[in-house]
Amino acid sequence: MAKPKISSDWLGGCSGCHMSFLDLDERLLDVFALTDIRATPITDLKHPDEDGVDVGLLEGCINNSAHIEVAKMMRERCKILVAFGDCAVFGGVPAMRNFFDLDEVMRCGYINTISTDSEGMVPTDPELAVPQRVQSLNEVVKVDVFLPGCPPSADAIYYTLTELAQGRIPLITGDYLNWH
Amino acid sequence: MEKHQMNTGDKNMVHLTIDGKEIETPEGSTVLRAAQQEGIHIPTLCDHPHLTPYGGCRLCLVEVKGARTLQPSCTIPATEGMDVITDNESIKKARKFVLSMIFSERNHFCPFCQVSGGDCELQNSAYEQDMTHWMIQPNWNNYLVDSSHPYFTHEANRCILCRRCIRTCEELVGNFTLGVEERGALTMVIADQGIPLGESSCISCGMCVQNCPTGAMMDNRSAYHGLKSETDTIKTICTGCSLGCGLEILVHDNQIVAINGDYEAAINEGIICKLGRWQQLEKLETSINLTTPLLRKNGQLVETTWEEALEFAAEAIKTTKDDLAAIASTELTTESLYSFKHLFSNHLNSNIVTSTETDTYSAASNVLLKNGILNFEGNIKSVDTADCVIIIGEDLINQHEVIGFMIKRNLPKGTTFVNIDSNTETYGSLANCTMQIAEGSEKDAVRGIVASLTKLGLINNSCEGVKDIDTLVQKAAKGTGVASETFLDAAYAIAKAENPVILYGPVITRDDSADALTAINCLAGLINGKMISVKGKANSLSAIQLDLDQPLTNPTSIKTAVFVLADDSDSDGLLNNLMSADTKIIFSSVENALTKAADVVFPVCNWAQEEGHFINMSGSIQWRNKLMEHTKNIKTTNEALLALAKVLGFTMDSDWESALLARPSSVELTK
Repeated sequence: MAKPKISSDWLGGCSGCHMSFLDLDERLLDVFALTDIRATPITDLKHPDEDGVDVGLLEGCINNSAHIEVAKMMRERCKILVAFGDCAVFGGVPAMRNFFDLDEVMRCGYINTISTDSEGMVPTDPELAVPQRVQSLNEVVKVDVFLPGCPPSADAIYYTLTELAQGRIPLITGDYLNWH
Repeated sequence: MEKHQMNTGDKNMVHLTIDGKEIETPEGSTVLRAAQQEGIHIPTLCDHPHLTPYGGCRLCLVEVKGARTLQPSCTIPATEGMDVITDNESIKKARKFVLSMIFSERNHFCPFCQVSGGDCELQNSAYEQDMTHWMIQPNWNNYLVDSSHPYFTHEANRCILCRRCIRTCEELVGNFTLGVEERGALTMVIADQGIPLGESSCISCGMCVQNCPTGAMMDNRSAYHGLKSETDTIKTICTGCSLGCGLEILVHDNQIVAINGDYEAAINEGIICKLGRWQQLEKLETSINLTTPLLRKNGQLVETTWEEALEFAAEAIKTTKDDLAAIASTELTTESLYSFKHLFSNHLNSNIVTSTETDTYSAASNVLLKNGILNFEGNIKSVDTADCVIIIGEDLINQHEVIGFMIKRNLPKGTTFVNIDSNTETYGSLANCTMQIAEGSEKDAVRGIVASLTKLGLINNSCEGVKDIDTLVQKAAKGTGVASETFLDAAYAIAKAENPVILYGPVITRDDSADALTAINCLAGLINGKMISVKGKANSLSAIQLDLDQPLTNPTSIKTAVFVLADDSDSDGLLNNLMSADTKIIFSSVENALTKAADVVFPVCNWAQEEGHFINMSGSIQWRNKLMEHTKNIKTTNEALLALAKVLGFTMDSDWESALLARPSSVELTK
């Protein structure tokens, strides 16, 4: 049997979950032995294979139109989609901005910062993604496995990947279950 | 409010089965309590062992054979023959659904909450049900964050409306500040009529913060400083006043993280006041600690060694020992007070050896003790079970607050409160019977009540044996300025009670004639009541038992003054008369006006660094634990006193227990 193909991507997150993935250290070799790592933000391939992969990990929340596009593509191309970390599972820290008006948030980020000079403006280029209120991944696409944590521990990631690689759906519980 | 503790005494027992286990429990107890009694775990959120069951969160749902639906175990009474299942698939499903509803009601985001990671009962419950995500999205309405209070913040986004804070405020503290407005999804915990906490009737005891299951009530100081699971918990006592409440203090890395009331402590059963929870800590953290001995040279206080400072102090003490005053704080440990007395009284026989509460709290008691009336005071715990409380000349709203809580929380249950004072404003309209008396007329007031009881035929005789009762009542009315009808009202209220308690303050105990105290003793005897003097600071009773209650007479001829104060700063200015002494030797933990004026300053430990015994107002001999290590060049007060004695060439012992017991006491001393 061919090794299961795994892809990942990040949306509205801090990349901390991927850093926690790298915290697998020497156990990465086990993961490589069991799986075929395809496109990830930290490898050369940037998009999952068009003919699909077995497992997709998505880090980060949905906070603009580009994220929705990526999420939908991942959903189409991945047999099992994992919401990877608190932002993907719940909305996480970025969701704090939902308590403010979106215009106010943009002004705060692009105009009212101390380092912004008088030229500061909210970008309006039509090619840019359109910002929206923060959503969790399962509000946009169907999610098969939820791996919460800010970030999930390397142990939890290792458990999740090795279970998936062996054709089992991981039960995130006990020490692997953390929301913070 | 009924305390839901297992009382197997005189209640009928019922038998039920929980998870196949046969259980016997007292009639009236709930299924939850019966399960807990047998160590069977049922998850809960709105339940708290010291509060009345509320049945708000529905997490504790269980299956009761024969019942149509799942039942909340926290409110359903255990009945004979009941068969209960606490965990199965349908219960699990219901609990997950309940949690989903709670999470969707407000906005719970764990990564930026101070209790996440072990201290949040909501998060722990979700973990227990293996919840990896929310089935329903959060509310996303931006709820109120009330940060108007100096000590804590109300973060309504994290509130689960379990009402534990509200029940705590009314049932444990009797303050009734917190409540709810609106209903359904609009329900909101509010202070008073919906005003900011900082402007409300809140008395800052922080019990709501201690009992909040989530991060909704946030301790401003300790938030994000460390979780319970990451810190050491040290049990100790509060030495903020003479009550001696039990505390649980979270300590990490030689720092105090947070202070909570100890629910296992007999005296306070968990409740503490703002002084114990926040203000003492605030004072500790805003004071400038002394770190090395100081000696005045050429008019300037300069840093010196312990050896030089001790030599200088010993020389001054030796040469002026016939004109020496030694004053100790009543906030010192019993060990330190004993060493102090041993050194200055037994060895040096100094002119004045006393405490900062000189002559204040024991003059009247001494008169009774000399007349052979011993241990006449009752235990403060009797306040909680009293059906009538008489307070004479004591402010329990601002002083010894926890006793005030015990009284206030019992008022809705029908406890009668009679307040006799020259200033009755403090209690507002709390008292059933208020007697605003002329200053110094406490004895007339008590005698008037005794006479009124006799007049109404409620007791058989009065202590005074005077025939003309009417004249006595008139006399009392005249002396106090209170209408004689009020005396009759008070007499009625008091006579109805089965367990009355009379609490009195320094105005009674400092009275040399002991007239008022004698009258109170008479009244207590007639109505079968307990009498309690609330005393003063943490170790007043030790100081009294060690004869450190001598009057501060003729301090003008004093050449050397020794102040052993540690954390005390003499805010009453009692020591002003002694500041003209040629040599002033001070033992202090912090820099203050007194240390700046001193000639020798010995740096000693503060309350968090020094352990030792304290005797509370009811004679309980308690142990205060050390919370943190002191800096290198300071000593504990007791070590410093022993070091001074050594330089002076005296041998010292530590038999404080026999010294305490040598003097008759107004209250029984117990360990």
